This record gives sequence, C-alpha cells and structure tokens, in this order.
Amino acid sequence: MSDRADLLQGTLDLLILKTLVLGPLHGWGISKRLRQLSDDVLDVGQGSLYPALYRLEERGWVSAEWGTSPEGRRAKFYTLTRQGKKQLLAEQSQWRLFATAVEQVLRAT
Amino acid sequence: MGRALECVQRLARRARALTRARTLDAELDAEVRLHIDLETDDLVRTRGLSPEEARRRALVAFGGVERYKEAQRDARGVRWIEELAQDLRYAVRGLLRSPAFSLSAVLVLGLGIGATTAVFSAVHAVLLAPFPYPRADRIVRIYQQDGPTNRWGLSVVDFRAIEAQQRSFSAVGVLKWSDVPASVGGRTEQRRVVWATSGIFRALAVHPAYGRAPTPDDDRPGAPRVVVASDAFAVRAFGSAASAVGKTVAIDGLSHTIVGVLAPEVRRLAGVRGDLWPAFQLPTPTRRGPFGHVVIARLADGVTLDAAAADLAGISERLFPEWASSYQNARARFTPVPLRETIVVNARKALGLFGVAVSLVLLVAVANVSHLVLVRVMGRSREVALRTVLGATRARLARMWITESVVLAAAGGAAGLLVGALGLRVLVAVNANLARIDEARLDTTAVLFAAGVSLVVAVIMGAYPAALLLRRDLGTALRSGDRSVAGARRVQSLRGVLLVAELALTVPLLAATGLLLNSIVRLERVDPGFPPEHLLALHVALPAAQYADDSSIATLWTRALPRIREVHGIVHAGLGTAMPPDDPWDENNFDLIDYPVPSGGTQPVSPWPLVTSEYFAALGVPLLAGRLFGPADTVGAPPEVVVSRSWVRHYLPDGRAVGRQLIAGGCTSCPPTTIVGVVGDVKYRGLAESGDAVYEPLSQGWSRDVNLFLRTTGSSAEVGARVRAVLQSLEPGASLDGPVLVSDRLAESVARPRAWTALLASFAGAALVLAAIGIFGTLSDVVSARRREIGVRMALGATPRAIVSAVVGQGMRYALAGAVLGLAAAAAGARWMGSVLFEVSPGDPLTLAAVTVLLLAVAGIACWLPARRAATVDPADAIRVE
Repeated sequence: MSDRADLLQGTLDLLILKTLVLGPLHGWGISKRLRQLSDDVLDVGQGSLYPALYRLEERGWVSAEWGTSPEGRRAKFYTLTRQGKKQLLAEQSQWRLFATAVEQVLRAT
Repeated sequence: MGRALECVQRLARRARALTRARTLDAELDAEVRLHIDLETDDLVRTRGLSPEEARRRALVAFGGVERYKEAQRDARGVRWIEELAQDLRYAVRGLLRSPAFSLSAVLVLGLGIGATTAVFSAVHAVLLAPFPYPRADRIVRIYQQDGPTNRWGLSVVDFRAIEAQQRSFSAVGVLKWSDVPASVGGRTEQRRVVWATSGIFRALAVHPAYGRAPTPDDDRPGAPRVVVASDAFAVRAFGSAASAVGKTVAIDGLSHTIVGVLAPEVRRLAGVRGDLWPAFQLPTPTRRGPFGHVVIARLADGVTLDAAAADLAGISERLFPEWASSYQNARARFTPVPLRETIVVNARKALGLFGVAVSLVLLVAVANVSHLVLVRVMGRSREVALRTVLGATRARLARMWITESVVLAAAGGAAGLLVGALGLRVLVAVNANLARIDEARLDTTAVLFAAGVSLVVAVIMGAYPAALLLRRDLGTALRSGDRSVAGARRVQSLRGVLLVAELALTVPLLAATGLLLNSIVRLERVDPGFPPEHLLALHVALPAAQYADDSSIATLWTRALPRIREVHGIVHAGLGTAMPPDDPWDENNFDLIDYPVPSGGTQPVSPWPLVTSEYFAALGVPLLAGRLFGPADTVGAPPEVVVSRSWVRHYLPDGRAVGRQLIAGGCTSCPPTTIVGVVGDVKYRGLAESGDAVYEPLSQGWSRDVNLFLRTTGSSAEVGARVRAVLQSLEPGASLDGPVLVSDRLAESVARPRAWTALLASFAGAALVLAAIGIFGTLSDVVSARRREIGVRMALGATPRAIVSAVVGQGMRYALAGAVLGLAAAAAGARWMGSVLFEVSPGDPLTLAAVTVLLLAVAGIACWLPARRAATVDPADAIRVE
C-alpha cells in the first residue's frame, strides 16, 4: 500500500489539483472523478488521498470548508485557491515536459 | 522575508493542529466515514453488490483506518508530540492497572539505582570532586620513600633542608597534629590541634574568612604565639567567627592569640581535619628524626613533577651524610606525590568494593525487572495482536513499550533518590575515616547521575521487548496472540538467559559476604593478649605549660598512682601510652647489635609504647622471661626495654632475648638499649596484625599524654568517677577523657569491618531474593502454560513425583548454570578481595562451597513451590480447559 503511495507522490498532487479545476469536491468525489477521468486506470490509494489533501491545504493550494454534499451528508469540500491554480499550471507544464521526454526516449530504437 | 513569514505561518498552523488535535481527529473520522459510506453506496449502485459485501470492499480498499489516521497526523507534523503525550498517558494508565507489577518493579529499581547513587555520591565527594584550592593540581605532598610502596613522613630536619635548598616550589609548609587540651575561659576540652607553618596556607592558597593567615614571622621560635581557628571552634567558644579574632585560647597550657578564623566549609586543610591551627614554631633538632610530619608544597610555575622529584632527590643525598649518626637509611629519597593521589589511594579500595557490589545489585535488579517486563509483554500479546489488526505499526508498538520502560525507570529513579539519601548516610557512617566523605551530598550531580542510570536502565528494559516486536518472526508470534508458536519459545529462552544472569551476578556478592563474615569471625576470635573484662582506660593529658619537663610529670604520677590504687574496687593501676588493639602511639626503628642491618639498609620498625611496670599487671599480660622494669630505670639510667614474644620470634632466630642489646631510633651516638624481659603479645596495630612490641619504661621518658589502665573488681562506672575525682583534685588543668571499657574498644575495632560486612550482606541478600523471585516467576508461568501438557502426561500415568522432578529439574538447570558462571566470576574477582580479608584465602573452598549450597538451596525452594502446584493439576480439568 505504502509503496503505491510513494510512486504516486509526485503526480498525486497534480491530479488532485486538476480534479478541482471544475469546482469544489469532497474527498470521495475527488477519487471518483479521478477514476472516471482515467477510465478506472488511476485508482488512488485512499489512504494517501487524505494526507495529500491535508498537505495541499497546509501549503495553501487548496482550501477546505464543511458543507452539505449532494447526498445530503455533512462533508468537507476542497476548493482550488489562486495559489493552487498557479501551482497546477506550473506542474502541468513540468509534467508535459517530463512525459514528452520519457516518450521520446521510449520511441527511440 | 517571505520564507520567514511562511515559516511562522506553518508553526502557527502546527500549534493550532496540536491544540485542536481532538477536533481535527473528529473531523477526520467524519471524513473517513463519509468516504466509506459513499464508496459502499457507489459499489451497490454500479456493481450490484450486496450492501455488506460493498462495505467490506470499501473498507479493504481504504486500507487500515488506524494507519491512515496516523499518516494523516504525520502530515500535520505534530504527530510525535501528540503521540508522546498519548504514549505517556497510556504507559501510566497501563502501569497503574497492574499495581503489583509496577510497585515491585519500582521498588527493585529504586533499590538498585539508590544504592548506586549513594556510592556514586561518596566516590564523587572523596575521589572526583576538585579540591577547594586554586590550581589544586600543582599541590604536592612530600614523602620519604625507599621502595615502590614504602613511604613515610618527614622530620623537622628534612623540612628545614627542603625549605632552604629547593628550587621547584613557590611555597613549602609543614604540619603535625595531636589531640591536646585546649581551654577557653576555664573550660578545657580535648581538641584536634594541627601545628602548621605559614607555608601551608601559602602552598594551599587558603585565606581565613576573618582575620589573617599566619606569616613567616609567626613561625619563628619565640614569636608571640598565634592560632587560626576553625569556624566550628570559634562559634562554639565565642558565639561567632567574627568575634573570635583577637581572643586567646590556651593550647596545651600555652596562651595563643586567635588571628584568623577559617570559612565554615573549610573543615580540613590538605586532607587533615583540625579545630585549631597554631603557627608551627619549629624546634631545633638534635637528630634526624622523629619522622611523621606532613610536608605540603606548591609547584612553581613551569616546574614539572619529575623536575621537582630530581631536585628533592638531590637534597636527600646532600642531607644524608650530615645526620648519618642518627639515621642510616641511605636509599630513602624525598618524593613529591600529587595531593589528590595521597587521598585517593586510601579511598579507592573501600569505595571500590562498594562500587562493585552496588553495580552487581543494580544489574541483578535490571535483569529482574527486564524479566518482569518480558513476562508482561507475553501476557499482553493479545492486546498487541488486536492493535496490529487495527493497523498500528510495529514501530509504534515498540515505542509504546519503550515509553513504558522510561516511565518505570523514571519512577525507579525517583525512588532511588530516596534510597540513595538513606544509603549515603549509612555509607558515610561506615567509612567515617575517609577524608572528605563528610562532604558527600545528594547534590545536582548525584541527581543527574541517578537520572542517567535510570535512562540506561529504561533503554535496556524496553529495548528487548521492542526489538521483539520489530523482528518479523517473533513479532508474528506476539501479534498473533499465540503463546505456543516457535517464536514464543525464543522468548522463553531469553528468560532463561536473564535468570542465569541474575543467579550468576548474585554469586560474587554472596561469596564476598561469606569471605568477609568468615574473616570477621576469625578476627573476633583473635586473642588481644589480655582478658578485656573489668579493664578500664582513662586518657589523661596534662597541660604543656605546667608540665614542661619529665620530673614534673613524674612527681604528679608518683603522688596520683598510690591514691588511685586506694580507690575501692581497683586491683591494679598502670600507665601506658599505647591503646590496644589498634593504637601503637609511636613506632620506632631499631637495629640489633648481634644481627645488624647492613649499612644503608632499612631498619625494622616496631610499636614502641612507654609503660610503667604495673601496666602489665593491670592488663594481665604475663612475664615470660627475665624481669620487668626496676626502680632504677629513671631518666639517665642505662636504657632498658621489655619485648613481646612475637617480636622475639620475628627478630631473634635463637629465641633468646634477655640480655641482648639494640640501637633504638637509629641513634648510634646514644648508649645501647638492653632487653631485660619478654612478655606476652598484645595487639597494637589492629587485631589482624602481629603482636610485636618493644616497651620502654615511662620513667626514662615521660609523656604528658598517657592512658591510665585500671583493673577493677566491681562496678566500673563508680570506680571511673572516683578516679576522675582523684585526678581532678590533684591537677585541675588535666584534660580527662573516659574512662572507657577496653572491651568496648575491642568491639569498636571490629565495628567497621562488621558494618561493611552487614552492608554487603544486605546487598547479597537483596540480590538473592531477586534471583529467587525470578526463578519462581518463570517456573510458575511455565507450569501455567503447560497445564494441559502436564494433565495429559498425568493422564498417561506420570506420577506427581515425576512431574515435580521435571519442573524442579528445569529450574535447577538455570540455577546450576548460574552457579557455575557466578563461581567463575567470583574466582576472577577473588584476588582483589585478598587485601581486605583476615586469615581467609579469597578462594576459600569452604566459603565458596557454602555459598553455592545456599544459592542452590534457595533456588530449589523457588523451583519446588511451582512444581508442587504442577503436581496437583487435575488431568481431567486441565485437558478440558482448552
């Protein structure tokens, strides 16, 4: 379990930030959205989702608020902050650079 | 700037997180519950699973809830503080829940840590604490030395030569001490008086708190007599230290002016305790001796100890020919020895013994408590298993145990401070003769020491169970809550190791106690040389001013003795300077004319008491050959001595003593001394020593300071009071001390070794009890765990006897292993005991055998109790239980 969390560490922050671009979500919502967007390929180990959320909150990239969920339950909603948007852009371009580089290496024979 | 702000914000967040920990945890719970509920609903909807199955999958997908929570707290960055507090609370609660375990562990640790702390405080005060003198490492004491270990004090001649010729010291001083009468305003008391030249104060760099130190002018013969008083004396005699300066005190009948008072904490100078410190006005010597003065010097800047030694050796060589007529030891050299070393050497042995003993007790205590802790770990394996299932990590569990050990050790350390305070008092009382031991306190250093010991103990105790949890195989055994898994057997074997260690550590303690006991029994059986019953001794000191010459002293005693003999109940009254069994008063060197020591060799030395003829009758010492002193032995008559039987045996191969001659005190210009008689042995150097003695008649050299020995028939108290009255009427200025029963003196002389032994015996007893409890506990557990197996065996026809012998056999295997290892350890340390034993070899087979038997017997009882319980197991019951 912990091994997977470690592997995802670098990209997990990026993915969480991305899911929040369309609007506030609660924890389960984020994991559901990730699965949907990736056709169930990316299944975030939930054990690492909440620590990541806390970390992002502490860094000021997301803000959290208690509210009522569409299911009518009290839930903590996470919203992307201005700082978080900037961070998302930075991480996106960095990821693309990285992905392109990796792809290029793999394509070479 | 921005970074600093960020940092502050983060800290603030963490502080908030800490204070709001409970709220945050609750929020976390809510979030987690929501997540699992939503996931469950989702699974039901999308996959058509039953709600139960959906929930189970959601939980599995989420992972360990506990672990997740901890990871979350990790992210908060305050986890360790929260957990520390939580662990502490948990540990305290856990310990309170099993008060029997906690109380016994704290008591055992308190005993071990307390004893160690007490000995450490004494060692610290005596051996380690710096001397209260500036640059104390530059202070030396000068001895005469003619072999690697044989050294003695200096004489006035020696000191004068060193003072005049030395080029190595910035200051040199000499001192000597004696207990003499001192009177203030008509009240006379015996006081420890130390005559010291001004050089002593300069060498030590000590200044009185009030007034001044003596100056070189005060040291000159004929100068007005001045004295520096101790604070205690000044306060007692004059009410306060400040008011004492300028007052007068009569020391030995001579009036002295107090010029200074020492600070209250200065109770000794250069290790010598004193009430009064008069300026030492050196007499003009007529011969090289007598020796026995203490010379203290401070090395000048840049001079090494070796350079000073070479300088002093040169002085010894130049001085020797000048006084060859009265001193023949050409090999003796003046040798500087650092002051610290002179004090440390004596103390090392006494404190070393206690140090080793308490360390052993501490080790046994730690082994014992580790054992208890281990049993506790085993007993709580189900709890551990439960927590593991809930997701607590192994590291976290391990830390829990360590925290519990720390709490336990801290409580033990606190108890240890109480034990230490008591123990230190006992230790100081037993070793009152050690310099500086009266300064031992349970101070900050001691508290830090106790804390350090507790911490080490905590780590030792907690480390094993913690390691156990961290190691996968053993951890599995524990965490699965199953006692019969192979891993648990390893724990069992560790208990065996601890048991053997406890037993093995106990053996040297028991052996040392046995040897000392044996030694004391022999010491108490030693014949002091006379029947001590109905024998009184009264110490009489006459003031020097009125009794300056021999004839005045002789006159007083010629008048006093007949009147004392008239007192009802007195059979004999004799005078002697020495006090059996351990005060020879003076020792002197001698050279037999028929068996001379080769030129330049070291002459033998013997106790040399001055006595009247009736001394022998009063003590009841038989005359074996020749005669006692006649009335002709007065000052100026040819010198005569009476010697003891062992002296004859030591120095005269043919055993014929009467009529032979010797040269006393190395005085070749004096007329030779004739041996006129041989008497029975009396111990003067301690009961453990030989009965050598050379008696000189008091009439040939009166001393102002003598013991009056009274052989009585009736009640000693009445007789003593009457004799005191007689003496007081004849000489009101005399200082009288006693009378004491000589039998009490004898008992007192073995009181210290007795107290030592008692202390050691209590250590050994404590260790033995702990070891026995260890065996008992282990076997009881084994019996409980194997109840079923025992039941099966009995059902198959094993007799109770076979069961008992199986259980006892298992326990005794530990005991035997412990005994063998312990005996090996005792044998290794035995050589070291030799110097404190009397007529017992350190490897005394009888003592070691007795110790082994005792250990095995106690172990046997500790094994038998659980074994008997095993034998009463009802097979049917036992099998049904599981």
